[in-house]
Amino acid sequence: MSTLTVTRPVTTPTRASWVTQTVEITRRWTVDAIRQPWGLGVAIIQPVIWLVLFGNVFSSVGTVPGFGTDDYLTFLVPGILMMTVLYSGAWAGTGFIDDIRSGVMDRMLTSPVSRSSLVAGQLVQQLLVCVVQGICVIGIGALAGARYAGGVGGMALAIGASLLLAAAFCSLSAAVALLARDQTALIGISTIIVLPATFVSTALMPAALLPDWVQSAARYNPLTWATEIARTAMSPSVDWSLVATRGALLLALATLVAWWSVAAMRTYQRSL
Amino acid sequence: MPAAPVVEALDLVKTYPGGRGRPDVRALDGLTLSIPGGTVHGLLGPNGAGKSTTTKVLTTLARATSGVARVGGRDVVREADAVRRSIGYVSQGTGADPLLSPRENLVMAARLRGLSRAASSDRAAALVDRFGLAEAADRGAGKLSGGTRRKLDVALGLVGTPQVLFLDEPTTGLDPEARAAMWAEIRRLAGEDSLTVVLTTHYLEEADRLADGLTIVDRGRVVASGSPDALKATLEGDTLTVDLVEPTPDLVRSAVASIAALREVVVHVEGPTGRLVARTTDGPAVVGTVIAALQAAGVRHGAVAVSRPTLDDVYLRHAGRSWTSADVASKEVAR
Repeated sequence: MSTLTVTRPVTTPTRASWVTQTVEITRRWTVDAIRQPWGLGVAIIQPVIWLVLFGNVFSSVGTVPGFGTDDYLTFLVPGILMMTVLYSGAWAGTGFIDDIRSGVMDRMLTSPVSRSSLVAGQLVQQLLVCVVQGICVIGIGALAGARYAGGVGGMALAIGASLLLAAAFCSLSAAVALLARDQTALIGISTIIVLPATFVSTALMPAALLPDWVQSAARYNPLTWATEIARTAMSPSVDWSLVATRGALLLALATLVAWWSVAAMRTYQRSL
Repeated sequence: MPAAPVVEALDLVKTYPGGRGRPDVRALDGLTLSIPGGTVHGLLGPNGAGKSTTTKVLTTLARATSGVARVGGRDVVREADAVRRSIGYVSQGTGADPLLSPRENLVMAARLRGLSRAASSDRAAALVDRFGLAEAADRGAGKLSGGTRRKLDVALGLVGTPQVLFLDEPTTGLDPEARAAMWAEIRRLAGEDSLTVVLTTHYLEEADRLADGLTIVDRGRVVASGSPDALKATLEGDTLTVDLVEPTPDLVRSAVASIAALREVVVHVEGPTGRLVARTTDGPAVVGTVIAALQAAGVRHGAVAVSRPTLDDVYLRHAGRSWTSADVASKEVAR
C-alpha cells in the first residue's frame, strides 16, 4: 500500500455533555469510596484523633503571653479542619494510579470522554468527602467545647475555604500521580509537601509564637491562608478584607493547579 | 472486489525516549497495514514486536511520531474524538472498575457515551444477557474469575456499538476453557455482528484459528501479511524439525550442507539444547538421509518431526528467527 484509501466516514453516535460526564465520574468515585468504608472511616476518625491529641498536648499554649485567647480548642478547630482536607487531598491521586495500573484509564482515554471531566469528576468527589470531614470536625470540636461566635455563616465560610484548599491539593496530587505514575513516588512527594506545610503554618500555633523565619514562610503557605479565613469567619467579628485577599489567593491557586492537573492528563497520554 | 479498508496505517513510526543517555527506542519503524471491514484481523508478533503500540496509535491512546492512520475513514489524530466514538478498546489489563458491579460498569460506560439513563440500563442488560453475565452482574467486578472478567471487558468495549473493536491480547492468562469461550465470542462478533475485530496476539494458534487476515509484526515493521492459509501456502512442502541434544550449529550445518533436498536450514540454540529446522519438498523421503548425515558427523539428536507449514515457519522465513527465540529474546530485553 503506498497511499491511504479514503473510506466513507461512518455515522458516529452522540457523546454525553461535559456535565453528564463529570457527574458520572463523580458518581463512580463516590460509590467506590462508599464501598471502601475503612477509607471513609479513617478520613473521619483522623481529625478526631488530631483534635484530642493536639488539643491536649498543646492546651497549655493558651496560657502563654501573646497567645491572645485562653481557649486553645476554639483556636485549634480551624487549623485541624484545614489539616484534614490537606491530608485527604494529598492522597487523592492514588485513584488515578490504580486506574493506570488496571487499564481503566486506557479505556476511558479511548472513549469519547473529556479529559477535564475525568479530572473534575474525581475532584468533585474529593470535595464532597471534604464537606463531610469539615462538618464532622466542626461538630466534634463543638462537642469538645469549642465555641464558634461566627455562627452557621462562619462555619459555612470556613468549610468553603477548606474546599478551596482541598481543590488545590487534590489537583496537585492528581497531577503528580499522572506524571509520576507511581504510588511510592506520590506518597513520598506528598509527605515532603504536607508535613512541612502543616508546621510552617498557623494551623497549630499563632504567628506571634512562631520563630521569625517560620512566621515569614507561613505567610506564603496556603494552609495559613485557609486557616486565617476560617478563624476570622468563626470569630465574633469577621475581617472581610482578610477573607477577600486570602480567598482570592486560594481561588487563584486552586484554579492554577486544577489547570495543571488537566494538562498532566494530556502529558500522561502523550507519554503512551 | 475486496471490501474497503476500515483500518489503515501508512509508515507509522513511534519512538520512545531511551533515557539515561541510551538511544531512543523505535517501537514502530514504518509500519503500514490495511484491514478490510467485517473481518477478524490478527496483529501477530512476539512480545515487544510493536503490536500493542500499533493498537494504541489506532485507538488514539498514543500518538505516532510520524505517519498517518485512519479508522473508519477518520484520521486518528485530527479526528480523534470521532474515532473514539466509532471504536471499542479492550486493553491487556481490565477496563472495569473492580469496586463496581459489571452492570454498574456497563451503565456508566453507556452514560459516558451519551445514552440516557433508561437506555443505558437497557444496553447494560442486553450485554449482560449476551455475555452470560447474569449470575455475576451485581457482584463486584474485582471478585470475578479471569474468564468472566474478560467477558466483561469485551462487553465494555461493545457498549458504544462500535464499528471496530480492538482486542489487545484478549486471552492472555485465561485457562483453556475460558480461552475457547473467548475465541467463540470473537468469531461471533465478526460473523453475526459484522464488526471489524483487530486482535493483537502472540499466540500462533490463536491467530491461525481466529483471524481472517494477519499482519505479522517484528521489530516495529510488517514482515508478512495475508490470510493464515495464504501465508502458509507460500511455504511449499514440509517442515523438517530435528531436536538436538547439544547446540553445535556449525557442525550441524556442515553435516547437512550437501543434502540438496533441504532448503532454508536454520539451527536454533535453545539453552543447552538446539533445534534444526529446514524446509523440504518431501519430508518423509529425506528424513533418513538427514539422520544418517547427522550421525556420520557425530551430532547427537533427539526427536525428528515432519509437519505441514505453520505460522511459526512463516514467521521464521520472514523474520529470520523462530517464534520461540524471538519471544524469549524480547522477554530478556524486558527484564
